[in-house]
Amino acid sequence: MGDVQDILGLERPPTPELTKEAILGSSDKLKKKQMQMSTPKVSKRPEGMPREVFALLCNDSKGVPPVFPTDTGQGYKQTKAKLGMRKVRPWKWMPFTNPGRTDGAVFHHWRRVADEGKEYPFAKFNKKVPVPSYTDDEYNQHLQTTGWTKEETNHLIDLAKRFDLRFIVMKDRFDKEKFTDRSVEELKERFYTIQTTLTKVRSTSPPEGKPYVFDADHERRRKEQLKRIYERTQKQIEEEQSLVTEYRRIEARKKERDKKTQDLQKLITAADSQSENRRIEKKLPKKKLQQQLTRPRVDTVAVESTGIKFPDMKGSGVSVRSQRMKMPANVGQKKIKGVEQLLQELGVELNPMPTEEICTHFNELRSDMVLLHELKAAFSTCEFELQTLRHQYEALCPGKTLDIPVLSESQTVSSSENDGGKQKINLEIIDVVGSPGTPNSSTHLN
Amino acid sequence: MMAAAVPPEFGPDAGGRLKGVTVVKPIIYGNVARHFGKKREEDGHTHQWTVYVKPYLNEDMSGYVKKVHFKLHDSYANPNRVHNKPPYEVTETGWGEFEIVIKIYFHDPNERPVTLYHILKLFHQGADMALSKKTLISEFYEEIVFQDPTQYMQHLLTNVQPVTMAPYKHETDFEEKKVKSYQNILTAKTKIKSEITDVKEKLKKAKEAIAKYKEEIAKAQSGSMAESPSLA
Repeated sequence: MGDVQDILGLERPPTPELTKEAILGSSDKLKKKQMQMSTPKVSKRPEGMPREVFALLCNDSKGVPPVFPTDTGQGYKQTKAKLGMRKVRPWKWMPFTNPGRTDGAVFHHWRRVADEGKEYPFAKFNKKVPVPSYTDDEYNQHLQTTGWTKEETNHLIDLAKRFDLRFIVMKDRFDKEKFTDRSVEELKERFYTIQTTLTKVRSTSPPEGKPYVFDADHERRRKEQLKRIYERTQKQIEEEQSLVTEYRRIEARKKERDKKTQDLQKLITAADSQSENRRIEKKLPKKKLQQQLTRPRVDTVAVESTGIKFPDMKGSGVSVRSQRMKMPANVGQKKIKGVEQLLQELGVELNPMPTEEICTHFNELRSDMVLLHELKAAFSTCEFELQTLRHQYEALCPGKTLDIPVLSESQTVSSSENDGGKQKINLEIIDVVGSPGTPNSSTHLN
Repeated sequence: MMAAAVPPEFGPDAGGRLKGVTVVKPIIYGNVARHFGKKREEDGHTHQWTVYVKPYLNEDMSGYVKKVHFKLHDSYANPNRVHNKPPYEVTETGWGEFEIVIKIYFHDPNERPVTLYHILKLFHQGADMALSKKTLISEFYEEIVFQDPTQYMQHLLTNVQPVTMAPYKHETDFEEKKVKSYQNILTAKTKIKSEITDVKEKLKKAKEAIAKYKEEIAKAQSGSMAESPSLA
């Protein structure tokens, strides 16, 4: 942007300020116009005339229809150009000089007589880029750097003047035999440091606006990057594209998995709270209760309880008890089938005698069955995820395996024995915790 | 039953109902069927059957039941059979099984009638010749639950007369059946419960393992990144 501005010698015009008045003023005018438009003369429907016929006659705001055709307009006909209405303005073959030129060459062209003596109209487009110049003193004091001799700098400034800061051309015309071959960035960097240093040194008042800073390093990296992108082979492009699609797929899968994990969390919470309630109700052996309590409780925010929700039938009136064992309508056919199959496997009748306690327990049993089914489904998704993660890990660290036991049935302590490095710490901890009771460890301690 | 002693609240809000009172009346419903031994020539009927509703306990149902309505298959002449007094039963002959709708009405019109559905059974399972000579019994236990009954209804329900002075028995031993299915359900429940605990435990482990793997993978990834930045 800076270059373009410099070349054209333009000051950036201040953007017109949007004021409230500007907007409101125009809208006010509009309103007035609309007001005038929206008050057409309303003609009244003559008595006895059907509304439909009247609507045909006077639609919109045209008022009373004309009695005979009044179509005197031009219609679609184009108006013809009216020529020869003004006086002829004569042209003359005359010489002119272009102030953009330094040699003062005289050329001729056709021009209106009225314009004779005026400046060449295209002269104003000849913009000169201000290229700084310096004295020897200034150069010695401020502009000396390693890598650039004064001669070379002079050459650069000369080129800048000649080619109006077109750095690409300047690089092309740079004297490579006399000096070294410079890149565009090097040229730009040198030029702009000279410019900013000179303005800083010369100006007595604080500089207006920001001086243009050329970040050569950034520019070099940018070009390098562009070059790399440009030089990719077809194969590489394809590979990249396939990687991108693969990445998207992985992301989508991850999202899905996260969602499932959340559902799972809900399930576990529901299961915990349900079984806890029931255990306390039934006053089961203390051991189990403690186990239940020591388990880290997941957030007990009101989570929808899973399983089956049977209606509680608390309304007054007469009912048949077996009605309470009916599956609610929102339970899917598939779930019902599964529950029935499980009931048969366990030797429970599908329609047991509807006493109160049988009713309660039968409903709880079926609800638990559904819950179990959901938990199992959740577990299998977990297993799948674990499988994926294991492959991922093995791909990352080939040869290493993180043996974390899950899929085997009896897995708590024993399986961590064949682990590498960090797992050992774990093992020790478990061992220490487990040791006091066992006779083995007591000898070990002594 | 404390609520029954308290003077009942009448009026539009209470609906004349005794709040918190529940009266349960167990009943038996079903049918017996007997094979003729041969197909009857005139109409092709093969069985005589009786569908019935009777109290499970030795109590006269007519004390609170106004009428019982049996709706038979439409192919019978006047399929709607209504009985105003016990025994509440319909005896018919036929050749096929169908669903009978039994509706029990109560003396207090404020209590809505209850409906039972019974599949009339004529044939023994597994067509055993030895069995087919015997009378077939297909009956079920049910409980009518009166939640917050009206005062009138409660009065009728609590003052019932015994049906007979002799011991009152049924064909099916429901007491034994009750205990057995209750036990079955409890065993199944414990089993399912333990399985739930099991799966939950496994789930927890799996989740921990997943977390562990994720951590390790993250570690491995950051490690490989540090080693060879050119790959990034």
